[in-house]
Amino acid sequence: MNTAATTPTDEHADSHDHEHHDPRLAHHFDSHQQQFDTGKLGIWLFLVTEVLFFSGLFGFYAVYRSLHPEVFLYASQFLDTVLGAANTIVLLFSSLTMAWGVRCAQLGQTKGLLTCLVITLACAAIFLGVKSFEYTEKAHHGLLWAGMYQSPEHHEAAAVPAAAGAVESGDHGAAHADDHSDDALFEKTKHTLSYMTTVLWAVILLSGIGLAALFKNPNQKTMAAVLGCVLISAIGLQLGAYASIGYHHFGHAAEPTAQEIEMAETVPAEYAKQKEKIPEPKLAGTFFSVYFCMTGLHAIHIIGGMIAISWLIVRTVHGAFTTYYFGAVDFIGLYWHLVDLIWIYLFPLLYLIN
Amino acid sequence: MATVVDSSDPKSNYPIQYRELNYLNCSKGWKSWFFTLDHKRIGIMYLMGVTVSFFLGGLFAMLLRTELLSPAKILMGPDTYNQMFTLHGAIMTFLVIIPGVPAAIGNIILPVMLGAKDVAFPRMNLGSFYLWMFGATFFLAALVIGGLDTGWTFYTPYSVRENNASIIAALLGVFVLGFSSIFTGLNFIVTIHTMRPPGMTWFKMPLFLWALYATALIQILATPVLGITGLLLIVENVFRIGIFDPSLGGDPVLFQHFFWFYSHPAVYVMILPAMGVISEVIAVHSRKHIFGYRFIAYSSIAIAIFGFLVWGHHMFVSGQSKVVAVIFSAITFSVSIPSAIKVFNWLTTMYKGSIRFTTAMCYGLSFLFIFAIGGLTGLFLATLATDVHLHDTYFVVAHFHYVMMGSSLMGLFAAVHHWWPKISGKMFSEFWGRIACLGVFLGFNLTFFPQFMLGTRGMPRRYYTYLPEFQELHVLSSMGAYLLGISSALMVATLVYSIYRGKKAPANPWGGASLEWQCSSPPPHNNFDHPPLAGDPYVMESVVYNEEIGGFVPAECQGDNNGSGTAAGEKEV
Repeated sequence: MNTAATTPTDEHADSHDHEHHDPRLAHHFDSHQQQFDTGKLGIWLFLVTEVLFFSGLFGFYAVYRSLHPEVFLYASQFLDTVLGAANTIVLLFSSLTMAWGVRCAQLGQTKGLLTCLVITLACAAIFLGVKSFEYTEKAHHGLLWAGMYQSPEHHEAAAVPAAAGAVESGDHGAAHADDHSDDALFEKTKHTLSYMTTVLWAVILLSGIGLAALFKNPNQKTMAAVLGCVLISAIGLQLGAYASIGYHHFGHAAEPTAQEIEMAETVPAEYAKQKEKIPEPKLAGTFFSVYFCMTGLHAIHIIGGMIAISWLIVRTVHGAFTTYYFGAVDFIGLYWHLVDLIWIYLFPLLYLIN
Repeated sequence: MATVVDSSDPKSNYPIQYRELNYLNCSKGWKSWFFTLDHKRIGIMYLMGVTVSFFLGGLFAMLLRTELLSPAKILMGPDTYNQMFTLHGAIMTFLVIIPGVPAAIGNIILPVMLGAKDVAFPRMNLGSFYLWMFGATFFLAALVIGGLDTGWTFYTPYSVRENNASIIAALLGVFVLGFSSIFTGLNFIVTIHTMRPPGMTWFKMPLFLWALYATALIQILATPVLGITGLLLIVENVFRIGIFDPSLGGDPVLFQHFFWFYSHPAVYVMILPAMGVISEVIAVHSRKHIFGYRFIAYSSIAIAIFGFLVWGHHMFVSGQSKVVAVIFSAITFSVSIPSAIKVFNWLTTMYKGSIRFTTAMCYGLSFLFIFAIGGLTGLFLATLATDVHLHDTYFVVAHFHYVMMGSSLMGLFAAVHHWWPKISGKMFSEFWGRIACLGVFLGFNLTFFPQFMLGTRGMPRRYYTYLPEFQELHVLSSMGAYLLGISSALMVATLVYSIYRGKKAPANPWGGASLEWQCSSPPPHNNFDHPPLAGDPYVMESVVYNEEIGGFVPAECQGDNNGSGTAAGEKEV
């Protein structure tokens, strides 16, 4: 009984008490069906409020993009489409495992449910790992919200004339200078991220040891499940961060040298000059305000979802869900799909401009 | 059943009238209140919180009015004055009127009216109350930190600047209170959808439920936008993201759009539940079936929908295109249609009814009077040409006090008096109740009617001082404010006194036919052991007055006392 559990006296736990003893049915509902329908309507309404919550940001996006299209054209080139696409795939996959988990819960397959939830949690963590790399990199390039924005001109200023000079002189050394300055920023990014990864290694180690110690202890199921969730999240974050560092490392080494230098060699010098003249729009930082607000709020929702999924994992370990009581999995699943859906909108709106 | 049942009823076949063991005393200790999941106790806690906030906000109002007794400085300097009207507005809006009827009265009455044991999500309900407390704490923090002088509207660029801790605190308060409001609304919608008793179809719901449903729709659809707007304004203050701040390329008018997209519908969050209360009060205290049930129900929904389409009328002089202004003006005029439908239906309900001037009815009639003035003066402001003249004058202040403060609070007071016997199990003194009502009514009109005149003569709002020719009207207005304050205190005193010295209330003192009157006063912890069968909530003939009980009993009990079934379903004596 909900009420009896929280109110200290049980004098009031009266007549309707003998009607049902099922702890899975709250006292004010007549049937499991009513309880489920209530929760379902509740979560759908909650999702409506979530959509409206984000609608404010989409409203901003629409207003500013229509007022300053050049800002969006100019600034979105600094977002890494490959990382964004990878994250999209990760989230889509997590939605699949979440839906699969709901199915498992409906069929009473506890092991299947647990597996699906664990994979979903790991995917969410990978997403955040990649995102933390992207944020760190943006920070080191000075590509922050309007109040903190530093024009990328300050390091391109050195690079672009140098590239133009490279065309004239045929010297590849100048192009390397460009690489070098970018490399330095990349090294800084890696350095900053190394703090995070070190902490994560410690978390992985500690929670791994804890999980191993508690794994077989039937009295410590909750603790073991919580540690397991921490472990999975830390591994996922680590994976995401390392994967994006690795991608950036290789992608960085291969792409600019092959393509950009070739471009610098083949296009006429006027083009290089013209490119230099394309002015940075005045409010370029606004794009990054929008970017950080939208993806930041989305990331907060991912973290919320991870907490909710961890809670589901703990309850699953306790065998809370049955074929007639799986509402919580279903509802959190719906929430997770919404978080996924919002990203599906964010990705093209922010990364795929032009 | 282990409960001790005390019925003032001499004959066993009447429904239980009064219970010694009820929701108020079924469990004891502060924990049984602070961690309660019982909607009635949560509602009581809301009611207490709202009352405290009301007197805090009222105190600020009276200090402001005292300052305005003369154009010179009396109590405070201009900066303090700015902070005080900001806090007055913010507290009264976010802590009093918005949660007043829905969260406090609605929480107590809605499930009982539905014959349900609780709202759909009791834990969320408690969480929503604590969010309210939490939000209120942020407002108190803003008050302590000082320096919040943006007006309750938080317009940029006033609200974006250095040294802004109190602005951030207040915005966090608004953000948190928004979620409190959302959760209450969500709970109500789900409860009404899934937990109606057998026999209660949509069009057999009491109109108060329709009003709460329409209110909850607005809470759910509009409040998230306020949430994100507040959040972005906080982020703007902390990180300088340049979205609202013009010095970084942001658009301050965009903030106004976002703010009013919520805050205009929020006006209907304030008035719709009060209208629902009036539908109940007028019908019950006129002992007559409500006139035009469907029209009143639909007009609640219509007002909720229109409410979303008129936010631009706050910005006629903020620089929006003329076409947009004309459209907003036209839609604003349309809001008067469903509002007028309601008023006409209430009047027609009273026609040839047997009207009793109980305290609740007196507040109900005050509502009709005040709402009529408030609604009609809205048309002056919706007219583009006159609005340019009246914008930001005392005319606007008077108008929105007539609808928001006058009407909403009259609704709240009517609700409190109407359901007080049900909530507390005690009858209050009708004499003092009516005296207080008269004082509130006269005090209110004396405060705000002069402000219409001040406004038309050009007295701008939010000004610390004024030209000497305005002084007479300002003094009148201040006198009214004092009368209003004293009368409100008298009202609360009357009610509190009744808790200790009042007569025990019968189950149905006024003769209402909706389900909450079938439950004993005060209701037991679970309201109803079995969902009662619901009929038409406005067939007043279904209950008749019983001298011995001092209240109304189902008609079928009165005639023959041989134990025929009652509709109450509670006959365990």
